[in-house]
Amino acid sequence: MKNLTGLLVVAMLVAACTKKDAGQTADVQAQGGAKLTNNELKIGISQEFENFNPLISSMLATTYMQRMVNRTLVTIDADGKWVPQLAKAIPSIEAGTAKVIKVGGKEKIQATWELLDNAVWGDGTPITCDDFSLAVKIASSPNVGVGEKEVYTQVEKIELVDKNPKKCLFTYEKAKWDFYMLGTFYPVPKQLEEAVFKKYGSQKEGYEKNSIYSKEPTNVGLFNGPYVISELQLGDHVTFVPNPKFYGTQPHIKKIIVKLIPNTGTLEANLRSGTIDLISTLGLALDQALAFEKKIKSENLGYQVLFQPSTVYEHIDLNLDNPFLKDVRVRKALNFAINKEDLVNALFEGKQQPAIHSVTPRDPWFTADPAKVTVYKYNKREAERLLDEAGWKPGADGIRVKDGKRLSFTVMTTAGNKTRELVQVYLQNQWKQVGIEVNAKNEPARVFFGETTKKRAFDSMALFAWVSSPENTPKSTFSSKNIPTAKNGWSGQNYMGWSNAAVDKTLDALDTEMKHEKRIEMVHEVLKAYTDEVPVLPLYYRSDVAVIPTQLKGYRLTGHQFPETNVVENWNLE
Amino acid sequence: MTTYILRRLVQTLMVIVILSYVCFSLMTLMPGDPVELMISANPKITQEDVVRLRAFYGLDQPTYVRYFNWVGEIAKGDLGYSRTYRIPVTEMMGPSLKATFVLSMGSLIFSILIGVPLGIYCALKPNSKMDYVVNMFNFGGISLPSFFLGIVLIIIFSVGLGWLPAGGYQTTGMHYDSWFAEMLDKAKYLILPILSLSVQSIGRFSRFARSAMVEAMRNDFIRTARAKGMSEKVVIWKHGFRNALIPLITIVAISFSSVFSGALITESLFAYPGVGRLIYTSIIGNDFNVAMISFIISIAMVLVMNLVADLLYGAADPRISYK
Repeated sequence: MKNLTGLLVVAMLVAACTKKDAGQTADVQAQGGAKLTNNELKIGISQEFENFNPLISSMLATTYMQRMVNRTLVTIDADGKWVPQLAKAIPSIEAGTAKVIKVGGKEKIQATWELLDNAVWGDGTPITCDDFSLAVKIASSPNVGVGEKEVYTQVEKIELVDKNPKKCLFTYEKAKWDFYMLGTFYPVPKQLEEAVFKKYGSQKEGYEKNSIYSKEPTNVGLFNGPYVISELQLGDHVTFVPNPKFYGTQPHIKKIIVKLIPNTGTLEANLRSGTIDLISTLGLALDQALAFEKKIKSENLGYQVLFQPSTVYEHIDLNLDNPFLKDVRVRKALNFAINKEDLVNALFEGKQQPAIHSVTPRDPWFTADPAKVTVYKYNKREAERLLDEAGWKPGADGIRVKDGKRLSFTVMTTAGNKTRELVQVYLQNQWKQVGIEVNAKNEPARVFFGETTKKRAFDSMALFAWVSSPENTPKSTFSSKNIPTAKNGWSGQNYMGWSNAAVDKTLDALDTEMKHEKRIEMVHEVLKAYTDEVPVLPLYYRSDVAVIPTQLKGYRLTGHQFPETNVVENWNLE
Repeated sequence: MTTYILRRLVQTLMVIVILSYVCFSLMTLMPGDPVELMISANPKITQEDVVRLRAFYGLDQPTYVRYFNWVGEIAKGDLGYSRTYRIPVTEMMGPSLKATFVLSMGSLIFSILIGVPLGIYCALKPNSKMDYVVNMFNFGGISLPSFFLGIVLIIIFSVGLGWLPAGGYQTTGMHYDSWFAEMLDKAKYLILPILSLSVQSIGRFSRFARSAMVEAMRNDFIRTARAKGMSEKVVIWKHGFRNALIPLITIVAISFSSVFSGALITESLFAYPGVGRLIYTSIIGNDFNVAMISFIISIAMVLVMNLVADLLYGAADPRISYK
């Protein structure tokens, strides 16, 4: 017994004696002592990541890290603007580097993409048009499980201009205005992957299983970004070291480790104990970040919590098949009865913005102009007037009734999501004040998204969020062609069942409208119908949160799908 | 004996086949599929993509067809491809199984080494002060949720004292000069998870050992052994402890069967890349291949360890025979 206790004490002493410098940094930093250096930065994330093959990967955490090692022709910067990365410039019709052509009576687009002369893979092989052609070829294969296939298949043909391997003429299948938005169109290193695809491409999933990304994920030839992967342990961590062949500025930080800490409750402890130095946007929930921000102030810790309005739109989809919700006056009354300003202040300390429609303020298409969209400011009287007009009169218990039926709804959301549950309670109270009864019914996320919303099986209201991106046509959620039915295999995300012929027509025309101003006009037309007919109750736009050491410079949250790692080479700790 | 073992092995195989179909069917009953996860991560995935991907992964096929396809691949020696991690299952599971084995075995051995001697000591000195103290510790340990204990340990030893890392498997990016340095580094990361897992098991083993030993020491043959003038050591270990072994074998065998199943909460809390977390992620992500292989390993371990326990009963007690 004594021996065992002794052993335990010895083990702890050994651990204490062998404590690494990395483990000391944050503690010391928190006390205002020694600082982090550019030798190493450890980032904590709470979401799982996968294999880094850019054609196959789909997890957010992988996207987050992918931008450190791989770049695309273009991207969106932190200001929300499209900027070139591997390309010298973004082709445009105005500049004459893109044109609409007619082939067999069908309009197509041809655009010339010129690659940076010094853009090379980590093994020194130049990045050429062939790498993009191979990406299209692999992605088009029926044996490869590519997620967003259209990104690649929209490009019909890639030819060399003037026999220059760095000057590529892309011919697009359709003449769409967003042809240049190739932020997720990754090149694939031909010198490594072509042989694999040739050998295994004819077998189902043969390419995925045998790709160098799977077999030798630290091969430097797979990467063209500021970093390369030096170590990858799925389910645990990824280590990045600078890529000496990177075309741009060499990164300041000599080693970045991204560590998976799946329990968000322990992220803070890991930060404070020095296991990690930074919590990424894929870490803390907003309430945790708000609580930690207070601790930083009260304990004078060397961290900063960043809040960045994002393109995530929290809202309630109304099931328009519900007989009470068919009446637009009831839908409008529901909207007028929500005090969104008070909601975001009470629950989020004003760190998230009230929403007015589906386009977020991070988007160039956003408008809050009352002349263009209908804005519903909190107005209890107007809500009551609309309900009175619709024939809903207050009953004995204050809840409105009509033809013997109570004005009662069920709001469903994901169980266990503390923020959403708080929002539910807040809304129940607000709607009760105008005589509307709302009951909460929550389900695990899998059931809620996998069954209830997908099959439109919610009785009246579904509270959740849409992740969007700037200038993203809302076709999948607004078009009546995307109302999920058994006939279409429950595909499409128009869970409301909203059908507006004019909106459908505008959305179809939007795809091919080349003039920026005209597109904005069209989107505003759609938003006008959306806010007039209220198929959805907008709630708030979510914010991204991250915790960084105060000394970290050049770190800027973006709030959209191209994360802050897009400019990882600018991060500096010294 | 050989016939008995063979019969049990055939039964084990049959149970594995039946349960694998049940598990497979239950997984297909869960709402959602991997394609839905892709949609949630990428708003630009189109309706056509969804239909194509479901067909590609065979998610549009009936359950039995998918099951037989999966069994067919297993029979060919291909454990499949992880939809979540996008690599072959074998490459994914190997390191996780190893990590979990180290953690679970470490905890099991530590718990047995502490719990069983404590229980025996208390059984030999029932109602003593030590017995009361150990009992109190045991009940406390059994009642304390491991996630709570884990957080407390992290706050004390990682945040407060800074002695031990808050989570992980090894110092990331570290290159070891010797196997001893590697072992020492990894051991440091194991202390808190093992402590968190063991407190409950120590209580359980100690309680079982105490009651089994108290029961054994009450038997007439113990009195006879003492009357024959045998030393107390022989009485306790040869006559008492051997008879107390049967319930202990059962509990140890059951605990042993879970060494490859992982400890989801502890692994998540301490960011330990074990198989428990892998199973959870694969179930949530509808990653059939990984989840099914994990289920089969768990089922096989339970069945095999039950067989081992049955065989050990015979070794511990010669009155039990297998014909």
